[in-house]
Amino acid sequence: MEYNKVQMNTEPKADNRSLALTALEDFKGFAFYHLGRFSLFAVSFSTVLIVLLIFFFVFQQGLPFFKNFGITEFFTSKQWYPEARKPEFGALAIIVGSIYVTIAALVLAVPAAILTAVFLSEIVSHKIRNLVKPVIELLAAIPSVAYGFFAVLVLAPFLQAEFGLSTGTNALNASIILAIMALPTIVSVAEDSITAIGRDLREASYGLGATRFETIFFVVIPAAHSGIIAAIVLGMMRAIGETMVVWMASGNANQIPSPWWDLTQSVRTMTATIAGDMGETAKSSPHYQSLFAIGIILLVMTFLMNIISEYFLASAGKNSRKK
Amino acid sequence: MRFIIRNITDKIFTSLTVLSVIVLVAILAVILTPILWKGFSAVVFTGTIEFRKMQLDLFNRGDIDRLNNENTSSQSCRKKIYDTIDRFKQNIDAETLCDRIARIYRNFGKELQRKDVQGAEYQRLRSLSREIRDKLETTFSSGDKKVIDENIKDVLKYKTDIGFKDTSAMELFALAEDFAADIKNIDLAKRQEYADALKDFENILTKLLGDNPSLPVPALKMDRYGATRLDIAQKNLYKLLWLEKWQQTSPGKPMAKIITPRAELFAGTEIGPLFDYIRDNLDEMLIPKRTFYWQYLIDGSTPGHYFGGVGPEILGTLLLTLAAMVFVFPIGIISAAYLAECSSDKFVIKIIRMAINTLAGVPSIVFGLFGLAFFVLYLVPLFGGPSKPCILTAAMTLAALTLPVMIRASEEAIRSVPQSYKEASLGLGAGKLRTFICVILPAALPGILTGIILSISRVAGETAPILFTGAIAFGPTPKNAFDPTCTLSYGSYDIAVGDRLASLVPHNQYGMVATLITLVFCLNIAAIIMRAKISRKLKGH
Repeated sequence: MEYNKVQMNTEPKADNRSLALTALEDFKGFAFYHLGRFSLFAVSFSTVLIVLLIFFFVFQQGLPFFKNFGITEFFTSKQWYPEARKPEFGALAIIVGSIYVTIAALVLAVPAAILTAVFLSEIVSHKIRNLVKPVIELLAAIPSVAYGFFAVLVLAPFLQAEFGLSTGTNALNASIILAIMALPTIVSVAEDSITAIGRDLREASYGLGATRFETIFFVVIPAAHSGIIAAIVLGMMRAIGETMVVWMASGNANQIPSPWWDLTQSVRTMTATIAGDMGETAKSSPHYQSLFAIGIILLVMTFLMNIISEYFLASAGKNSRKK
Repeated sequence: MRFIIRNITDKIFTSLTVLSVIVLVAILAVILTPILWKGFSAVVFTGTIEFRKMQLDLFNRGDIDRLNNENTSSQSCRKKIYDTIDRFKQNIDAETLCDRIARIYRNFGKELQRKDVQGAEYQRLRSLSREIRDKLETTFSSGDKKVIDENIKDVLKYKTDIGFKDTSAMELFALAEDFAADIKNIDLAKRQEYADALKDFENILTKLLGDNPSLPVPALKMDRYGATRLDIAQKNLYKLLWLEKWQQTSPGKPMAKIITPRAELFAGTEIGPLFDYIRDNLDEMLIPKRTFYWQYLIDGSTPGHYFGGVGPEILGTLLLTLAAMVFVFPIGIISAAYLAECSSDKFVIKIIRMAINTLAGVPSIVFGLFGLAFFVLYLVPLFGGPSKPCILTAAMTLAALTLPVMIRASEEAIRSVPQSYKEASLGLGAGKLRTFICVILPAALPGILTGIILSISRVAGETAPILFTGAIAFGPTPKNAFDPTCTLSYGSYDIAVGDRLASLVPHNQYGMVATLITLVFCLNIAAIIMRAKISRKLKGH
């Protein structure tokens, strides 16, 4: 019958190969496995290679500057006249400017970010949390140049008109925008670390009669402190390394604000100096090398912050695993 | 009592956290609303006839016949303005008038010779016309109305002279008569003021209505067309009608803005009523129509993004993103596979992880420096390429920047594939490689795609790394990977602060940024939705 024929045809062919591998097959398998593994390793190692190359090339271009001009002037003088006949490379005001706007941004961002993180992890239901999280993700997704655009064309005129300032592009403007940009980073890392604190601590606190505020403030946040510190350091990294916003919004005036609390003065940051000056320099000129020297400082700063944040993240992970 | 205070603190704290979230949402709204709203108006707006003319000339688009019809009716309405201005300009400009008189006088002399007028008659007419010319010249350059009236009366006496009949000399009298009629309302002492005010007036009028059709076409494209949109037309109309002046009212006080009607400058002259005429007939002159300019997304633009769209920028961004993905995609997935599957090499993986974290923390501008020093000045020349910023170097720089995003997302995706999949595959006799390619990769694909989308959005939005490695503000379409390109991100920077011209066209400024934000947001929202779907699937719903 037809049916039987079909059955006959689809019967699997007998495989007569012996189950034991021959020596060649065994070697082939071994070679392929390790070759494949090595090529995977080689490709993955490209990340390490890129990091090394970044350090190498930035240092290679920047170190001659320190060799030729020394580091005393660079770190102590405020005179930045790289294109003068007798060029001066005093980056003090620039470095201070970077730190200045970063700290101002953190002062604005950290309270709001931690409150938001507490809100997301402690107060609301899962549903609302799923609604708020995309908002934070979108805030993180807005390109920095769009933030800069907003700072220049919307915020700056507003500040100028509202507070009667001589210019709207100043440290205040840059700090506000940097704070907004650092917020998502701080919120998400801090929220993770707060969520990672186990239920037992909270329940013990509530069981002793503490209110929600007391539980969060005296129990949960101290327990999650290393994660929160890591979050703040990561936010700081984001703020100090940001280029477009400070370039567009900080006013680019080479000065240290005096009195120091006057946020409405224009400042100049390291990133903005690199971005703004690079177009006007000749290759391998002292000016060109000085910009790479600023790059070295940025790189070292962020690298150190990275190590700090990783240390705290690791200890946060250990803490939560203990429970 | 203590309990109440604790309770209140608790409530305040809770409301503070709620407030902070509300502030967060408000910030997003405050940033997005103006940018997207104004950016949207680059595409949907009320376009005037000038816009349609510009589209026809620069982009060869539109219905010629209908435009011609519109143009005829619009020009007939505008003619009155141009005629009035011409007459007024003539009357206040003594030099032109004198030139004209001199020309007519010369023509008359030639005419006499041609007609062969003889001897004494010739002498008489010559000296008479010379006398008329001199008189008119003093008339035109005089500011005193009494002198003018007398002189013109003297001149007109000769009108009936038989020798002038049917000759070009009659133009002299016509001119004199017109002048006498026209200057009745003009304060001739203010000639220079009128001339200056008229120049301003004409400049603004050009911005509103486009150039005067009787004049030669301006060399710059931006000067050829008037207000292409109704909102700009209204802005220019306001400038036309009102004069803004910064004046110090009292010493020591900041300058205050004083707004007066511009018509006051021309009070009493025939230019005066023109202001009302323009205001009332603006719609007839500009013929505004609702316009949906989707070609904004594909059109090139004139210098300063004055007219046109963001086509080259979008193309450049796409090219750059594609090129960067070519590098990121394989390296990212292979690295993720290695990190997730070969976890036995603990030390190596620790180093790689540290490198990824470091790479993620390097400031974007340092990537720019690295790209310049390594890719532009070292690597590309090493392989015989040109040592200049181009798409290739920018793409490689961006690839290095976005690698951590890609690796992290892919690793997470691969790790989240249930162990049972892998065990089932291995148990059926598949090798490790086959298991990875045929079982784990397809299962992890949505997560990997999320990573790709996120890195695309990162690449599309980054500006600082490509400042020195391949972005330009304005230039020809790139022909190969060794040409620099315009991008949305760098264009947004340039249009906001780099270019003074662009500040005259805010819709184009906002349009560029809105395009960038829309692009990035669509990608991110897609990623968010995809991730939500994956997590639902992993939970087994």
